Amino acid sequence: MQSVSMSFTGLTRRFGRVRALSSATAEVAGGGVLVVTGSNGAGKSTLLRCLAGLLAPDSGRIEHVEDGRALPPEERRLRIGWVAPDLAFYDELTTLENLTFFAKLRGLPPRRGVELLERVGLPADRDAGALSSGMRQRLRWAWALLHRPRALLLDEPFQNLDSEGEATARALVAEHLAAGGLAVIASPVPLEVDGVVCHLELAR
Amino acid sequence: MNASMKRALPYALWLGMALCIWGAFFYAPLAAAFIGQSSRILFFHVPLAWTAFIAFFTAAFWSAVYLWGGRKARHDRAAAAAVELGFLFGVLATITGSLWARIMWNAFWNWDPRQTSIVLVLLFYGAYLALRSAVADREARARFSAVYALIGVVVTPFFFFIVPRITESLHPEPVINADRHLDMEARMFQVLLGSFFTYTALFLWMHNLRSRLMALAERAHAD
Amino acid sequence: MSSATSSWLASAVAVFAKDWRCELRSRYALHAIALFAVTTLVVASSSLGPLGADKSQAVTVLPALLWLILLFAAAAGLPRAFVHEEEAHTSAALRLAAPPSALFAGKLAYGASLLLGLEALIAPLYLALMSLDVPSPGLFAATLLAGGYGLAAGSSLIAALASQARGRSTLFSVLAFPVLLPLLLLAIELTRNAVAGQPAGVALPQLLLYDASVTVAGLMLFPFVWNP
Repeated sequence: MQSVSMSFTGLTRRFGRVRALSSATAEVAGGGVLVVTGSNGAGKSTLLRCLAGLLAPDSGRIEHVEDGRALPPEERRLRIGWVAPDLAFYDELTTLENLTFFAKLRGLPPRRGVELLERVGLPADRDAGALSSGMRQRLRWAWALLHRPRALLLDEPFQNLDSEGEATARALVAEHLAAGGLAVIASPVPLEVDGVVCHLELAR
Repeated sequence: MNASMKRALPYALWLGMALCIWGAFFYAPLAAAFIGQSSRILFFHVPLAWTAFIAFFTAAFWSAVYLWGGRKARHDRAAAAAVELGFLFGVLATITGSLWARIMWNAFWNWDPRQTSIVLVLLFYGAYLALRSAVADREARARFSAVYALIGVVVTPFFFFIVPRITESLHPEPVINADRHLDMEARMFQVLLGSFFTYTALFLWMHNLRSRLMALAERAHAD
Repeated sequence: MSSATSSWLASAVAVFAKDWRCELRSRYALHAIALFAVTTLVVASSSLGPLGADKSQAVTVLPALLWLILLFAAAAGLPRAFVHEEEAHTSAALRLAAPPSALFAGKLAYGASLLLGLEALIAPLYLALMSLDVPSPGLFAATLLAGGYGLAAGSSLIAALASQARGRSTLFSVLAFPVLLPLLLLAIELTRNAVAGQPAGVALPQLLLYDASVTVAGLMLFPFVWNP
């Protein structure tokens, strides 16, 4: 059984005069989901970027523990699974070439990419530049799950997906939670997710 | 340091600077090989150049502390303030140097190795200041400029190996020359040494003021 | 070789291969860099060609011109390796998947191979168009190799900085030229020696020292540039 937990206290981030994120605090453990809601500009994406290690908070602490060990930021970055609207891949490469490249970076067998493309229902030989926005979102899902992360950080994970795509994505989340993983999901609208759910409402 | 000593410090510095200026014009004798009174400008030129280098090393020091010492905003401000002052002192050293060159060599500028080196070094720190103004986010700006300052420590020393080979120097020997013989009148040396000390103190005082001013500006900007 | 080292190396090779694959499909940097170099070469040779007759002037002027052409060609093409990642928003995916020093090594290998390839094209052409003789071809080749590598190493680190700031392309030139200047001075000096048939002198070890310092500084400092 895998063990993972994530907690953060007092996370604050400014962009110049704008306070994008103001003292956010929550925790979530394996098998659980943290749903982050709030209006546009409340700091949902900023919070997730801080958790992923893509942005340094001005103040506050993040603790990501796997197997009883708190991960340093440079390891946290490589361990999490990330889906976000601005996540993009190489237009010049096909979907499979993209996933194979990232599998190589992570020292994984290239077969993993084929499996995941089948799972999310994407053709392997389509140029990433020629994907529709829903297909791009599917590719983001496949990319995020490549290295079997224990912590998923999902920013508007179901956007642009058709009903079948959303069902697949929800099934992936359910499997991930059943295996003992955790998820942080940011959404501008209230979101129904199965499992142990806690909520964090960010105010502007 | 207690409060009354802190208040006394600027006055002590003022007195020290007054002494340095007086010493340069009235206490130190004229150097034999120099035209007219021209050697007096060296009591400004040499300490200014010295202080510029102290400032650039200070900047590199605080940049390293910023990167490896917990990313504190005050360390970034200390590095930035040091570069600004180093740039100021470097420009003043260049101007005083070329005024003297006009008298001695009959030209403000003749691509002497030292003139060339200082211009290249100033070019580098000018780029540092350009980098700071090109990054809006405080955290990223601090990180990028700390890295660039440290690249400077790696790269700028090369100028001092390379440039002297390329151009012939007319520049007088450094204060203490190669055979470690002090070739200078005692009173000149006293003024120069006192100036080194006082200018360094002046830099440290200005550096403290500038860093605090930056902190206030940042706080005012944030609210 | 330990497994950590070999996986680091595998990541670096993956980045190198990916950059070349994307480049060969879009040909953006290849075209920009080669056309730029050939255009300036033609302009330079048609306006300065007659200089070739005067040996002493040629030895002074032409090596400097060659390195200026290479510098500007590098500035036209090399930053692309990082700018493209920012513009295409692929940098986040890379940040979350690659160890930063391996990423830098891969990008550096890509930049160096691009530039050395360009030199292989430009240098013979330049010698022919300017009718410049090289009595020390070994030194000339060593200078191109060490100089081209240093140009790529310095440019890669600066490109990583500039690509994340406002006004990327102008900022790249402002930041890169002071850093690359020692390299240029050394490379020009060595090329002059090669053309004049003189020995390398201390300039060659200094150039190698520059290459080594910039590489080590790049590997150490790049993680700070790349990640918050």
